[in-house]
Amino acid sequence: MRVADILKWLLLGWLAVVIVAAFFYVRPAEGFIGESSRIVFFHVPMAWIAVLAFLVSCITSVMYLKRREPKDDIRASVSAGLGLLFAVLATTTGSVFARIMWNSWWNWDPRQTSIAILLLIYAAYLALRGAIDDPERRASLSAVYAILAFVTVPFLVFVVPRIYWSLHPDTIINTRGSNEFDLRYTQVLMASLVGFTGLYIWLYTIGCRIEAIRQRRRQEVL
Amino acid sequence: MSRLLVEALAVAAKDLRTEFRTRVALNALGLFALTVLAAVSYTVGPYRISVEDRPFLLSVLLWIVIFFAALAGLDRSFVKEEESHTAPLLRLAASPTAVWLGKLGFNIVLIYFLMAILVPLYCILMGYKIQLVGGFVLILVFGGYTLAVITTIVAAIIARALTRGALFSVLSLPLLLPLLIFLIQGTAGAADGTAETVTNTLRAVLSMGGIMTIVSAMLFPVVWSD
Repeated sequence: MRVADILKWLLLGWLAVVIVAAFFYVRPAEGFIGESSRIVFFHVPMAWIAVLAFLVSCITSVMYLKRREPKDDIRASVSAGLGLLFAVLATTTGSVFARIMWNSWWNWDPRQTSIAILLLIYAAYLALRGAIDDPERRASLSAVYAILAFVTVPFLVFVVPRIYWSLHPDTIINTRGSNEFDLRYTQVLMASLVGFTGLYIWLYTIGCRIEAIRQRRRQEVL
Repeated sequence: MSRLLVEALAVAAKDLRTEFRTRVALNALGLFALTVLAAVSYTVGPYRISVEDRPFLLSVLLWIVIFFAALAGLDRSFVKEEESHTAPLLRLAASPTAVWLGKLGFNIVLIYFLMAILVPLYCILMGYKIQLVGGFVLILVFGGYTLAVITTIVAAIIARALTRGALFSVLSLPLLLPLLIFLIQGTAGAADGTAETVTNTLRAVLSMGGIMTIVSAMLFPVVWSD
């Protein structure tokens, strides 16, 4: 067995434990309807991955502009694709929670607004990639856009929800800088964050390899 | 430094002169804004909205008119260089930073020109009463500046892509939406007299404008000379 295989099985085991723990190890939190609070163990990591993927996309874009290596462009685009996927998942899980707690799927709460704009940014980035033929120009222009877009993310994630009134429960890093979950919640949430980050890294390496093979094939055909 | 400024001013002056010859961007911005204003004023008018809703809803409509008018015309500055094949010559004639500053200056002039005509008309036609006029003007000034910074760099990007017209709105809007949210809230605050909302908005808009200016200045040479 190679190290990668061992890591893969470890990751699957870890995520299985997290899922079981999310449903049986912790009690439903007070102040939330029924079992709805359990969604936090999936919703928060997905939102975290959506932002992390964007960060990776931004960093690899900066690296591309510095070194002009095609593999950095591949990394940026794969990470943006994964970011879009996880942003959709975070939006969906958030919307389910909103339906249970506030009786509406979507009500343009500042948090919902910011994730919707994040989705738009990812989609725009991929639209830009589709609109440029020349690979080098596509790489550098989309790198510039990724960096520009990333600059707006702090405004969406931190400024908009802080300035305007929101229904969203306090985030892990709230305005008072304290953590109000009880111990078991924190344990499972952190384990879930680690598990999902591992899942992201796994998907990301696979995506990069596939894209590299695809580009090599295209060059062989040409 | 002075050389940079001279070059930037020359680029802006050249753009303004060619713009006043053809008036493509001015017509696009101005006519779009006036048409939408006419439509909004005819269908909604000053009395259709109840008094307590007015500060917020009229602020929403005002900024939507300004943003969409901006999206209709602000990409011209770069697209016209590519369409008339004058971009290579401009690359030789001026440094990238000077080109960026010049185009930014041109876009700022356009957007302020639009606001100077549209906003008073809007306030008169829609019966929009502003309590904190000073705050309102500051929001317009800084909001217009940030709008120009963001659209300038996006215009530079899309000028190098294939489907320009559609792409400009698609790429600009996600970057502009946070700004739009700030400006709508701030203008509503200025209209109903909440000074706190106005200062919060000004802080957010100023920091966004500042960051975008720095990032654009750093990234523009890549877009321009690639």
